[in-house]
Amino acid sequence: MASGLAIEARGLFKAFDGKTAVDGVDLAVPEGTIYGILGPNGAGKTTTLRMLLGIIEPDRGERSLLGRANPLEVAEQVGYLPEERGLYPAMTAREVIAFMGALRGLPLAVGRTRGEGMLRDNGLGDYVDKPIKSLSKGMAQTVQLFGTIVHRPRLIVLDEPFSGLDAINQGRLETMIREEAAGGATIIFSTHVIAHAERLCERIAIIAGGKVRFEGKVAEARDRLRPQVRLRTRVADGAWRSSLPGDARQAEGVWQFELPRGGIEPLLKALIAGGAGIEELSIERPGLHDAFVAIAGAEAAREMDAPGTMESAR
Amino acid sequence: MMSPLRSAYVVGRRDFIATVWSRTFLFFLIGPLMIIGISFGFGSLGERISREEFRTRVAVISTAADFEGLQKVRNRLNGAFGERGLPELVRAEPDYDIGLQTETLLAARDQKIVAVLSGAATQPRLTGALSETSSLRQQMAHLLTQMRYESTLQDAGRKVAPVEVELVKVDESAGSLARERAVTAQIGQMLLFMLTVFLSTMLLSTLVEEKSSKVIEVLAAAVPVDSIFMGKLFAMLAVSGVGVLAWGTAVGLGLSLWPMGSRPPDPAVGWPVFALLIVCYYAMNYLLLGALFLGIGAQASSVREVQTLSMPVTVGQMLIFFFAIFAVGAYNGPLGLAAAAFPFSSPLAMVARAAQTPELWPHLVALAWQAFWVWLTISLGASLFRRNVLKSGGSSSSTPRKWRRKA
Repeated sequence: MASGLAIEARGLFKAFDGKTAVDGVDLAVPEGTIYGILGPNGAGKTTTLRMLLGIIEPDRGERSLLGRANPLEVAEQVGYLPEERGLYPAMTAREVIAFMGALRGLPLAVGRTRGEGMLRDNGLGDYVDKPIKSLSKGMAQTVQLFGTIVHRPRLIVLDEPFSGLDAINQGRLETMIREEAAGGATIIFSTHVIAHAERLCERIAIIAGGKVRFEGKVAEARDRLRPQVRLRTRVADGAWRSSLPGDARQAEGVWQFELPRGGIEPLLKALIAGGAGIEELSIERPGLHDAFVAIAGAEAAREMDAPGTMESAR
Repeated sequence: MMSPLRSAYVVGRRDFIATVWSRTFLFFLIGPLMIIGISFGFGSLGERISREEFRTRVAVISTAADFEGLQKVRNRLNGAFGERGLPELVRAEPDYDIGLQTETLLAARDQKIVAVLSGAATQPRLTGALSETSSLRQQMAHLLTQMRYESTLQDAGRKVAPVEVELVKVDESAGSLARERAVTAQIGQMLLFMLTVFLSTMLLSTLVEEKSSKVIEVLAAAVPVDSIFMGKLFAMLAVSGVGVLAWGTAVGLGLSLWPMGSRPPDPAVGWPVFALLIVCYYAMNYLLLGALFLGIGAQASSVREVQTLSMPVTVGQMLIFFFAIFAVGAYNGPLGLAAAAFPFSSPLAMVARAAQTPELWPHLVALAWQAFWVWLTISLGASLFRRNVLKSGGSSSSTPRKWRRKA
């Protein structure tokens, strides 16, 4: 693709029954990257993905998927795992995978062979010929994931792929995402769990209230905040206090403040000269969570941390 | 990009296999087979019943000579009255008390006598639970009068030779043929209507599975909704084809074992073309109504809603059927043409036309017209589905957002 973008969206807007769900979303997902869409429930992540895939049409705005304005034209090169998982309950695991491949243009016989291989390689060999309804929810989700990638798509779209999975399967999914990316595929996934995005993504979009609040590299998001300095001294007070930045806060004997623009050295000199007695000094780069709070606001961050979302993240 | 037809094939193939390879499909096949079996059983039984049980039987209390005369007249005239026209006569030897004998005869359960004729030659009296205007009374009067004519002529030494009417056969006359072909037309319509009524309402519920299991999201992301609809429609047509083939074989087998009366009059286009047109119009009728039901059913969100919808939909089919009946006998009249032009009654109306007039080109036009409407109905159903159903997918609709946040 000339532009090097797997997905490009400009000004996507969608309202349902007069209620705005997605409000002017711009996205640019470079080919071969792992891209995260981060935001609380109801932020418009799923609607954005569904518009990108052509399941629904945006009211306004443009999108292109692998260079095509009509996403269905490149359906054979795309894999999609919807947030609400769903398979035909009476079909066997192998047939489901083959069918999902066939929907994307993969010959059924190839799909069956690959599907069986994927199931066996992942310890699900006993379930090859079992109907989906006899599988556990986690297993069915794994089967659906295999069906999503059985045709070896160039672009993989995963909507909340980690929800509903236990820690082991979350780990497996992360490995799989990295493998697919290493194989050249572009992966875009939505999540409300910051940790997943932080571990996996090169680029992220933070969506809240239907709007993109940030789009870029994870590092850039974090760089929006100055590193944080934590300082504990033996002596509580002294002339060195005037060297601390004005926004420094003290809690339980620990000073916390943003790293001054001039660096830490002038402060260090003052502390040593003033005999403050440095017990603890650390400079921490802010995490994505802090960046998220700074970008999307504290309210959105609280929604991300709500008990329901934490449960599905576990 | 996969062609829409191939996408439809992938979707339809799965549906076809899922339907045919299920235990419930056996019941689907067996159900109508039972009806066919029962109707053959009742058919042959019923014929016997009507032949033996329901024939009007009149006891004639008379001497053997009188009875013979009456019976002769009855037998001679009977042919002109059709198969069961005149009553069957049985003779009873006159007893001492005719009144008592009459009562006994009428009461005898094993004889099943409807009426008793006594005093045949001179003072005929018919006793039975009959009305003044009973046709039996008139028939008996007619027989006795005839007998009297003959004996009077005989007494006078005169004899009238029965007149022989020479019959010149032609293959057809406009009157008889039109009447007969109307029968074929109605049989054709009935067949199409019954099969479609039984089979096409299944299409109301085909998308409910995808919606309740959320598979629809996987399908809609991969193939155009039109292809999903088309695949499902043709899959169900194929399923119905399997059924029709099985039931047709059973009917054919039944007919070869127990032939039932005469076959319907030859249709105007001839049997092979008529059979082909029946197949084509069945498919079109199924596709047209099926596309409509698929579109309606796709808007329903639960099995309950589908169940509620199925009755009005069947009533709608009946109305279309009644409309198409107008085409029989008046296929070139305004109503007949309207029934042929209105897409949803067109297949039924055109089948009637095929039975009644040999022109073939209107059928090509009609099939093309109907195919266009199948396409139009699918497109419309798919676009409504995209607008009304798919838009509300995702997390925000299936689980109330408030609940999710609090959970």
